[in-house]
Amino acid sequence: MDDTGRRLAGCFQVVFPNLREAEIPSASQQTVAAWDSVAAIIMMNVIEDEFALQMDLDDLADLDSFAKIHTHLQKRLQVA
Amino acid sequence: MQNCNFVPQGENVLKITEALKITQSTPVNAHPFCVVLACGFTPLHLQTFLSAHLQQSLPNRKVVVAPGLYGTLAETLEATSDAAIDGIAVALEWSDLDARLDFRSAGSWGRSAAAEIVANAQAMLDRLAAAIARVPSGVRVVLSLPTLPLPPLFHTPGWQASEEELHLESKIFRFAAAVTQSARATVINVRRLLEVSSPGPHFDLKSHLHTGLPYTTPHADRVASQLALALVPPAPKKGIISDLDDTLWNGIAGEVGPENVSWDMASHSHLHGLYQKLLASLSEHGTLVGIASKNDPKVVARVFEREDILLRPEQVFPLEVNWNAKSGSVSRILGTWNIAADSVIFVDNSPMELAEVAAVHPGIECVLFPKNDYAAGLAMLRQLRDACGKQRVSSDDALRLESIRQGAAFRVQAAAAATPESFLAQAEAIVTFDFGCAAEPRVLELVNKTNQFNLNGRRFSTADWRSLTSQPDAVVLSASYEDKFGPLGTIAVVAGAVHGKRLAIETWVMSCRAFARRIEQQTLKMLFASTGAEEVDFDFVHTAKNGPLQEFFAAVTGEQPTAQLRLRRAQFDGSCPALYHAVRELRRAEAHG
Repeated sequence: MDDTGRRLAGCFQVVFPNLREAEIPSASQQTVAAWDSVAAIIMMNVIEDEFALQMDLDDLADLDSFAKIHTHLQKRLQVA
Repeated sequence: MQNCNFVPQGENVLKITEALKITQSTPVNAHPFCVVLACGFTPLHLQTFLSAHLQQSLPNRKVVVAPGLYGTLAETLEATSDAAIDGIAVALEWSDLDARLDFRSAGSWGRSAAAEIVANAQAMLDRLAAAIARVPSGVRVVLSLPTLPLPPLFHTPGWQASEEELHLESKIFRFAAAVTQSARATVINVRRLLEVSSPGPHFDLKSHLHTGLPYTTPHADRVASQLALALVPPAPKKGIISDLDDTLWNGIAGEVGPENVSWDMASHSHLHGLYQKLLASLSEHGTLVGIASKNDPKVVARVFEREDILLRPEQVFPLEVNWNAKSGSVSRILGTWNIAADSVIFVDNSPMELAEVAAVHPGIECVLFPKNDYAAGLAMLRQLRDACGKQRVSSDDALRLESIRQGAAFRVQAAAAATPESFLAQAEAIVTFDFGCAAEPRVLELVNKTNQFNLNGRRFSTADWRSLTSQPDAVVLSASYEDKFGPLGTIAVVAGAVHGKRLAIETWVMSCRAFARRIEQQTLKMLFASTGAEEVDFDFVHTAKNGPLQEFFAAVTGEQPTAQLRLRRAQFDGSCPALYHAVRELRRAEAHG
C-alpha cells in the first residue's frame, strides 16, 4: 500500500475503531455495518484533517469504499 | 507567566479527528456522565465535539451524549424527565422557532410570512421556557442562543435591521433572561461565542442542505466547547493578590507622593482605574483581594485614605506592605486566606517579581500588568473576570472577605487569651444545623471546592449529589457558624445514610475558615444525637490535601485514619473536648418526614 493508502487506513481506524487492520483495504458500505450516512460525513472530515484538503459533499455518494476513496485521493493529490 | 495574551475559556480548538480519538479513549468501566443534546438540526459534529470537550473536562467519567431526533428540539426537552441524567445541552437556532426560518424548508417567504414568524416564535419560546421549567431540578440545562444568520426573507436590505428581525432578537433575549432569572438554565454568551468562533463563516449552507448540519466544522467545535464549559464549569479562582505601584495605580507612591499617584482619565492612567473597579467588583462577589507590595506602609495607607480611590480599603485584606521578597508576602496572604496557591492569581507589573513569586509558589497563576498596552489591558481585565467569575453569587460570597478579616481577629484574640478554653467559652458562638439543605446550591458548591477538611476529595455532579442525598435513610446537614466576631456563613456539609444503629458518612467537608472552633466535634455530636447511631463509618480516602481532616481523626481516635474508619459513640464521647456553642436546628422534622 502506498503512503496515501496508509494514511487513509489511519482515517478508517479513527472512524471505525472496531474494524480490524486487515479488513480496511476491502472495506465498503456493504461490508461495514457502522458505515452509515453519519459515518460517511465524519469520514470526509477526518480525511480533510489528515490530507489538508477540502472534500466535496457532492462526492459523498460515490465514495462508498476504501478503494474508491483511495483512488479519489490519489487523483486529488496528483493534481495538487 | 501570562502576558496579556487573553485566551477565553473553552478556547481549546479541536479537529474532528482529535475529537473522535478523545471520545474513543474513554475509560471502560468509568461512571457515565449522561447529557441530552437538544437541537433541531442533525447534531453530527456538534455531538462529537461536545462529547470530546466534556470528556476532556471529565477524564475519569464515561461521557455519553444522546441527541434528540431531527426537528424536535421542543419535544426533546419536553421528553427529558429522567432525573438521572447529568445535563441537557440546548443548541437553539432560528429554524427552531419557525420552519420558514430554516433554509431546508419550502415555506413561503411572502409578505405575510414575517409577522406570522414573529408570532410563532413567541409561542415556541413560551413552549421552550415551559419545557425547561419542567426539567427535573438538579439537572443542569445549558443553552446556546441562535448563532447563525437569519434567512434573507425580510423586506429590508441586509445591512438594515427590519422591525421583525429586531422583534425576534428581542424575544430571544427576553426568553434567555427569563430562564436565567429563574435559575433553570445557564445561557451561553452568544457574543463571546461568536468572538471565539473561527473568523470565517459559521453557516455552511451546503452542509445544511446535504446533511442537516448548518454549522461549519470549526463553528460546531466552538459551540460545543462553550456548552461543555457551561455543563462542567471550571472552579473559579478564589483570590487575587495585587501589586500597588504601577499596577493598582500609576506611579510610585514613595517617590511622587500618595497624592500624586493616579488612576483617572485626566492623567491617562484610567487603565489602573478600570483594574481597581474590577477588583472592587470581584471583591463584592466573594473573590478575595489582597495586596503584596514593596512599599512604605504609611505611604500606602495615605493612598487608601484618598476619597477617589475606587478599590475601597474595606474590600482588601490583608495588605502585606514591606520591603521583603514578595513571595513571603504572598505566603502570609495565603496563610491568612487559608487557601492553596493554585486557587490564586498574582498580578504585578514586574516580570522579575512575578518570576520570584512563581518560583516559590508553584501553581499560582501569574499575570503581568500591561501598563501602557491598552489592548493587553482589556484582555487582562477579561482574563481576571473569566478566572474569578461565578455562575451564581450566593449570600455566603458577600460574607467571605469579612469573615476572613474576622477570622484573623479571632486568631489574634485567641493567641492573646489567658487560655484557649476561656477564649472559646467567651466567643458567643452559635452553630446552626440545617437538615433540609440538600438542594441548596451553596451546599454542593462547598462539597465540590473544599480540599483540606474533606473526607475523601470526592466531587459530585448535580445528578450524583441528588442521587446520594435522596437515597432511603439519607442524612444531609449543613452547618452555619457565627460568633461575636461575625458570621462565617455556611461552612460545613455532611451527607450519608443511617442503617439501623450505624451511620455511614460518604461526604464531610468543612471550610478552612472554620478551623479551630470545634465545629467538627459539634457536628459529630449532632450526628450521633439526631440519628441515634452508635457508630459512624467514614468513607475516608487519603488525599494530597486533606491533612487537616487526617489530623482531626488522629486526635479523636488516637491513630492515623484508614479506609475502614469507624468511630463509636463512646469513643467520641471520651475524646470530645468541651463545646461552648449554642446549637440551633433547622428543618430536622421535615427532613425526617
